Amino acid sequence: MYFLSDVYYVCWREMKRFLSQKTRILMTVFQPLVWLVLMGNMMDGLTSNSMAAGMLGIDNYLSFMTPGIMIMTTLFGGVFGGVSIIWDRRTGFLNKMLAAPIARAAIPLGKMIAIAIQSIFQIAVIAVIAALFGVKFVTGMAGILFMLVIIILFSCGMAGISLSLATVIKSHETLMAVVNFLTLPLMFTSATIFPKLAMPSWLKVIATWNPLTYAVEPIRTLTVHGWVWPRILPGLALMLLFAAVMIAVSTRQFSKSIA
Amino acid sequence: MPSVPDTGQNPVIIEVKNLSQVFPGNITAVNNISFSVYAGEIFGFLGPNGAGKSTTIAVLTTLLKPTGGQVLIAGYNTVKQADRVRAVLGYVSQDLAVDDSLTGRENLILQAGFYHIPRHEIRQRCDEVLQLVGLEEHAGRLVETYSGGMRKRLDIAAGLIHRPQILFLDEPTLGLDIQTRQQIWHYITGLREKYNMTIFLTTHYMEEADSLCNRIAIIDRGEIKTIGRPAQLKREVGGELVKIRFTGGENNNTAENIAAARHVIRKLPTVKSINPDQDHETQVIVSSDGEALVPLIFEALQPLQVKINSVVVKKPTLDDVYLSFTGRNLRDEATDKNHALQSMIRMRRIRS
Repeated sequence: MYFLSDVYYVCWREMKRFLSQKTRILMTVFQPLVWLVLMGNMMDGLTSNSMAAGMLGIDNYLSFMTPGIMIMTTLFGGVFGGVSIIWDRRTGFLNKMLAAPIARAAIPLGKMIAIAIQSIFQIAVIAVIAALFGVKFVTGMAGILFMLVIIILFSCGMAGISLSLATVIKSHETLMAVVNFLTLPLMFTSATIFPKLAMPSWLKVIATWNPLTYAVEPIRTLTVHGWVWPRILPGLALMLLFAAVMIAVSTRQFSKSIA
Repeated sequence: MPSVPDTGQNPVIIEVKNLSQVFPGNITAVNNISFSVYAGEIFGFLGPNGAGKSTTIAVLTTLLKPTGGQVLIAGYNTVKQADRVRAVLGYVSQDLAVDDSLTGRENLILQAGFYHIPRHEIRQRCDEVLQLVGLEEHAGRLVETYSGGMRKRLDIAAGLIHRPQILFLDEPTLGLDIQTRQQIWHYITGLREKYNMTIFLTTHYMEEADSLCNRIAIIDRGEIKTIGRPAQLKREVGGELVKIRFTGGENNNTAENIAAARHVIRKLPTVKSINPDQDHETQVIVSSDGEALVPLIFEALQPLQVKINSVVVKKPTLDDVYLSFTGRNLRDEATDKNHALQSMIRMRRIRS
């Protein structure tokens, strides 16, 4: 009965904390900007030839990369979500929440929503900057809104992984180590930064199994190609599954004794 | 001294039956303990870190599922009816679990939300508890600007916001300055008087257990050693000490005269034993009522030739009680790395 209220309050606190840390907000926007502006423009020189355009699917590397940056930003936002649990455990706030009659699931869900909102904010900034640099979003506002749905699902999935890990990993350092160990390989073995066509066969295989590839594909299609459903729907379906599974797993984790 | 509630009439509000907690690696933190707490009493758990205090309180506040036995709080099972238990209890942990990036008031609003207080009542409740702990002026400021004592008071306010039947306080005055400690003791006794709230606290401060609690349980190495009223436990330890000094240099204090004096004293009422102390000048008398004995001693020794140089009455303290039940002083506590780290973080937050 109080479930939505519980989720709201957990989320409210996360958002208040986020907004009170002005430098953090700046940082979350700054990093993707650096990738976009610097790497995007540098790679442009390398890829402005017909063979590259053939592999990218478009003659403009920036357009190819923007969806990748969006996914990368969301990835980083999500995987560090578990840190808040470890911090809450250290300060005793986790126990405070667990001793209160709030639904156990409200804790991971509230945090996931807050992380998703923060990701949307970053994505919006990236979209605006990309547009200013000449990237054309072929599907317009409707397409961007659809992209945000994919972003939200992907964010919930990654945050779910991080939050679930945080229920069993008690130390800051270990979580950071695990997360750092995973994120860069995940990024480079997917079609986020480089096109799948340009990959050697062994890397292609890994990319096919990498959730990031399925997250970035629909977004890239919507940005560059248009409403090409056969390229959008599989990604969407997988993201839905990913988010659902991680929500279920993290809910189960939080129902255990994790104080 | 808080008045003792008529335990015959008050219902049992916390019932712990054969509670055991065994952690992975076969570590027994709590070993088959049972006890009851009556409504309206202030009940204290006395013992060092590692004794099982924190584990027990974690089980009682539903944070931990017991590996053996069961706990009923206000009639609800802490595992099967956890949400109902959570709604009637308040929990103030050792950590200052208030959010630094929110204001005092926002922390309370959050807490009110967690405890499902109706929206239109939230503001009033926040005002109520802020007034109780004397933080109305500072409510609008960020908690990171608060001192350790203020944070503690805010945490207590948060624990009270839903008017719980039972308030759990884990080391309520740990690391605080004496002024704040006294304030908090004042709140605690006030709570019981005004709201008839049951209070369960853990502490390793003897004077806190002695002055606040109606009953205490001494817990050591996962087992309860004894439960009882502080006064009664102290009496049971063996008695009060009266030390009388007869300085040997005085003319009248010859060996004969002192022997005569001892003979007389030994026959006085409430005297259990009299023995010379190591310095051979002091006689140590064990009595069941030292204060009443002193004037009797003076009266009885008057006709004799001895000269009394000084008298000291030493009442047993909970320290003595603790020592007699556990064989150790409370100070000899071992701690591990995690505890040490946690304590360090806690102390930093309290002392800031």
